[in-house]
Amino acid sequence: MATPASTVPSVQFRRKKRKIDWSAYGFLTPAIISISVLSLAPMAYTIYIGFTNYDAMHFLKYQFVGFQNFVELLNPSNPLSTLFLPTLAWTVVFALAVTAFNYLIGLFLAVLLNNKNMRESSVYRALLMISYAVPGVISILAWQGLLNPDFGQINMLLHSVGIAAIPWLTNPTWARIAVIMVAVWSGFPYMMMVSLGGLQSISTDLYEAAAIDGANWRQQFSKITMPALWRISVPLLIPSFAFNFNNFNGVYLLTGGGPARSTNQFVGYTDTLASAAYKLTLQFNKYDLASAISIMLFVIVAVFSIIQMKYTGALKAFEEVD
Amino acid sequence: MSVDTKNAGSAFPSDVTKPPVFRDGKRRHLKPGESVVLWSSRVVIWAIIIVAIVPILFVITASFNPSNSYFSSSLIPANFSFANYAALFQQGFWHWMFNSFFVGAIVAIVQVGFTLMGAFAFSRQHFFGRKWGLLGLIILQYFPNFLAIAAIYAALAQFGMINDLGSYMLVMLGGSAYNMWLMKGYMDTVPRDLDEAARIDGAGVWQRFTRIILPLVVPMMVVIFLFNFTGAFNEYIMGSTILQTPNNYTLGVGLYGLIQGQFAKSWGPFAAGAVLAGVPLVLLYGLSQRYIASGLVSGATKG
Repeated sequence: MATPASTVPSVQFRRKKRKIDWSAYGFLTPAIISISVLSLAPMAYTIYIGFTNYDAMHFLKYQFVGFQNFVELLNPSNPLSTLFLPTLAWTVVFALAVTAFNYLIGLFLAVLLNNKNMRESSVYRALLMISYAVPGVISILAWQGLLNPDFGQINMLLHSVGIAAIPWLTNPTWARIAVIMVAVWSGFPYMMMVSLGGLQSISTDLYEAAAIDGANWRQQFSKITMPALWRISVPLLIPSFAFNFNNFNGVYLLTGGGPARSTNQFVGYTDTLASAAYKLTLQFNKYDLASAISIMLFVIVAVFSIIQMKYTGALKAFEEVD
Repeated sequence: MSVDTKNAGSAFPSDVTKPPVFRDGKRRHLKPGESVVLWSSRVVIWAIIIVAIVPILFVITASFNPSNSYFSSSLIPANFSFANYAALFQQGFWHWMFNSFFVGAIVAIVQVGFTLMGAFAFSRQHFFGRKWGLLGLIILQYFPNFLAIAAIYAALAQFGMINDLGSYMLVMLGGSAYNMWLMKGYMDTVPRDLDEAARIDGAGVWQRFTRIILPLVVPMMVVIFLFNFTGAFNEYIMGSTILQTPNNYTLGVGLYGLIQGQFAKSWGPFAAGAVLAGVPLVLLYGLSQRYIASGLVSGATKG
């Protein structure tokens, strides 16, 4: 009984040691079981497979191969590095571009909408939220048709204003632009709502005081609005970047990762690391390589989460928990 | 959370979209500069709304356009018909909807139950391992479980659990750390005096949990239920990995099948399915948006 309690470090200034609520373990049991079996075990198994040669050829008999999968993926002189390194680079570009555009467009719209003279602002807000509210799987698949180079409506629309057909999903550069465009289309309203909430939480006293002191609107924006928004939005930008870094639907459902690369059969020009791991698992049955990629994604995402926790003070709050 | 001193007396102090109304009810006259800003803002917003909405209108139009040449660029279909909808139903659309509904409802209910209990322990109880448990939750919420897709697929294949809605539900139950973190934050905002008062009155832990805390965290319960429920209609990666026969397809997997080789690019029926599934989900989202926004704000700001 006393053992766990005595391992809690006794701190001088703590007034009294709280008793352990043993019923807490009862309340936690369902969550502990589900998280252990359904989240932790798959993660542990992923790490394990990442160090083996487990694939369709070695489904029943597989061995430890140490860091071989990682060496293959990271060594530039190995043909498999054309799978990982360009995909990693594109994943970073994609996540940065989508996060930046979402934020800038969302912030811009929030500033426009946060106008006391615009009586119908809430109608605009509702209309602008629709693209975010449509479930991503449905809207991204629909975009695949809309962007079809031959019979999609976007090219028809462009044709009617005299612009030649754009090879949206078949040309590497245009496919990448399309993937970013669709992710921004479905993501900017969220940033808009968050920025709007941030703008509305700024006390009007600050603006009144600034106006009395003779500050013009530009000074008010840069000295009051932006710092306040920045404080609110940075903690949201990092998870947004992490989300897009792991984005699977936005890529796979639009382009299937394509168009295909001539240098590598496994991944196409728009594949992100997440969609590469999926394709390696389901299309090529290369569980070892997929797991190695997942492990590297784990590590990258862990770095983001530590930065995020540092920034938001979650770690500090955590230190204070007793 | 907002401090808007100008409208402090009104019923919705934070709603800055309320027009500035004077006591006698007249609208304030705009200064010329304000008017220019207002109208140029409106034009920009209209343009963005058109860009955001037109693709959706295209899909709705296409769903009523019987020719399977996916789309015409006109917003009014030349030959209005329900042929795509009829074709869609033959492909098993209601089956997919039912499967998503079923999976979503079960996963959401179980998630809400697990989350409530775990969050109660983290928010209200003192136990050995609380600190590390919380850190674990913070870290776990950054790892979507599909990152372990190779491991999950390999394990299910070895156990012969592929193509089973039950396995799919189990996998979907995996990502609960984020929910628990949200719920714990929300519970922390419920004043502790309430539990203390109940404790003094002789209420046990279970009674404090069910009678005091539960009724006060209903908004967050709704948020977590909706997240998980709608998640089942918006999930592709795990569904496509596990579910392999059309009878077991969920919405995302079924719709994907319509436009990939399997059903030979049925864009018209796909558009009909997108409309039938998308409209209720958008409405559900619109109706619950205030709930979600308020729940998320109070859950997220209190770490």
